[in-house]
Amino acid sequence: MSHLELIHLHKSFGHSVAVQDFNLSVQPGEFVSFLGPSGCGKTTTLRMIAGFELPTSGVITLDGRDLTYTPPNKRNVGMVFQSYALFPNMTVAQNVGYGLKIAGKPKAEIAARVQQMLALIQMEKFAARYPYQLSGGQQQRVALARALAIRPQVLLLDEPLSALDAKIRLELRQEIRRIQRQLGITTIYVTHDQEEALSLSDRIVVMSQGKIEQVGTPTEIYNEPATEFVAQFVGHINLLPVEILSPAEGLVRLGNQVLRAGRFGHLNGKAVRLAVRPEELNPGRVDGLNNLSGRVESVTYLGSIVRIRLEVEGHLLALDMFNERRLKLPRSGEPLDVHFPVEACWLL
Amino acid sequence: MNARRSNFWALFWGALAILYFFLPLYGTLDFSLRMKRGELSLQAYQIVFSDPRFWEGFRYSTLMALITIVISVLIFVPTVYWLHLKVPQARPVVEIITILPFIIPAIVYVFGLIRTFSRPPLQLTLSPFTTDILIVTGYVVISMPYMFRAVDVGMRAIDVRSLTEAAQSLGSNWFQILAHVILPNLRIAILSGALICFATVMGELILASFLVRPALGPYMALLGLTKAYEPAALAIISYALTWFSLGLIQLISRGGTAQQFTGR
Ligand SMILES: Nc1ncnc2c1ncn2[C@@H]1O[C@H](COP(=O)(O)OP(=O)(O)OP(=O)(O)O)[C@@H](O)[C@H]1O
Ligand SMILES: [Mg+2]
Repeated sequence: MSHLELIHLHKSFGHSVAVQDFNLSVQPGEFVSFLGPSGCGKTTTLRMIAGFELPTSGVITLDGRDLTYTPPNKRNVGMVFQSYALFPNMTVAQNVGYGLKIAGKPKAEIAARVQQMLALIQMEKFAARYPYQLSGGQQQRVALARALAIRPQVLLLDEPLSALDAKIRLELRQEIRRIQRQLGITTIYVTHDQEEALSLSDRIVVMSQGKIEQVGTPTEIYNEPATEFVAQFVGHINLLPVEILSPAEGLVRLGNQVLRAGRFGHLNGKAVRLAVRPEELNPGRVDGLNNLSGRVESVTYLGSIVRIRLEVEGHLLALDMFNERRLKLPRSGEPLDVHFPVEACWLL
Repeated sequence: MNARRSNFWALFWGALAILYFFLPLYGTLDFSLRMKRGELSLQAYQIVFSDPRFWEGFRYSTLMALITIVISVLIFVPTVYWLHLKVPQARPVVEIITILPFIIPAIVYVFGLIRTFSRPPLQLTLSPFTTDILIVTGYVVISMPYMFRAVDVGMRAIDVRSLTEAAQSLGSNWFQILAHVILPNLRIAILSGALICFATVMGELILASFLVRPALGPYMALLGLTKAYEPAALAIISYALTWFSLGLIQLISRGGTAQQFTGR
């Protein structure tokens, strides 16, 4: 039996639909991310799980218990907000212990649990500080400890790192994952940052316009995107409009150049596109693989990689190479041949 | 040279403003000290302070002010909280309602009160106690613009929605959220609202005199008609009271900022 179950969830605000037909079942201890562009309904879905929004229709169950209409303060679900939302009038220790105080736990037990939680986030020394005396990253760690102190059945995080700067974000990301593993707590993590979702999650739910586009492990999402939206939203992708030559063999034509697609569904003769990630392309010509000839349009340094844009048959194609010192980079305007494996491309 | 010229004008207007505000005050103060011919004395003040009617008015107004403050807080904190949390789109309407006491003259308002509540079904003007109920409701309305704004500003400084939701997800009910999270973070705002409310009620004349209650305002007015030096002394006393309240607001809110009450 699964742990957290979202069944046909639907939410409208007036006439606008925020979430539609959302189905998901989450296993105990699983780390699931909701990933999607702004306004796709991630927060709304999370808030329905937390109880801050009532679904227009659908059911939410936790360990078989129907939670759909349970008020948020009776759900035993921990929540971490983008804005930290620490209580400004309470110290770190009081913040962390607040949920236990509300639950009427004895003082000694609260103190012990607060100690334990502060140790978990490595902030024992800050117990007596007020939130305004902490950095953003520290505040968010306290917020995490506060949410976890009540031993919730599910931990919900809504873009917890997006108010922090890049370095702290990276650090705290690892910390969240470590704590989540250590406690084995079921976690739902909302983000619009694909790197965050890919690096943290057991499974990712990619959403667009209120609907689930794909649910899968990070590898599945990246390597086998189910829809054009997922392919474009997660990572970079080249999409080349091609003509089908032989539907049975997956042979397609781009201008005068013939390519073979690794994966293709039922082709109904309509114009299709060939998808291939920039890092799958390599300069040079290799027999037996897909080859394309083009002309270099631009060369851009992106730190550890170099992105080369090629013009091929009137279309732009991106190619990523590691930025190694011995690399001899082509110059703009030069002709360039590239190759990529058949398995690395597919038809959409 | 440009800077020097603008400096000069700044000083000039500043000085003019100070003269405008303080000259009458100085005149009043000076006058209030000249009851004894040819020397400065506090005699006018002594007379005021030894008048039992002054103390009665002072006591009455203070009591009414305190009751007004308690009721205002009980009404406006939950109302503004709800406004922020659930119906932010109603803000323009509510803002207009709260400034109505500035727009409708108090005299019109008090006649409305008297006409409505001096006949059945709700005849409140018969006994002093029920009249006090009426006057307190009137004071709550008159001080509404100040109280509403003070609480509103305080509420804006904290992230009401997230704090509420955080408390909720930790198991708090509405009462606990208000008591543990919202009220403590609004202490400064409520205090400054309360002090302005206090100053307003202490000086209020029209409601008290038309409803014929022994408040400080009517006493001052009466004294003004019959005496010369004592009203001046009284004016200075009430100024001092107001300024004391304002000073207290400053002091408390400064202490607050130095502590945890800057919000985020
Ligand atoms: N209280 C509300 N009233 C009306 N519409 C709302 C409300 N909350 C959300 N919406 C709408 O629902 C849709 C989904 O919003 P939601 O906040 O869930 O998006 P999101 O995926 O979290 O986006 P972001 O990444 O910007 O946070 C949006 O179109 C939004 O305008
Ligand atoms: Mg959101």
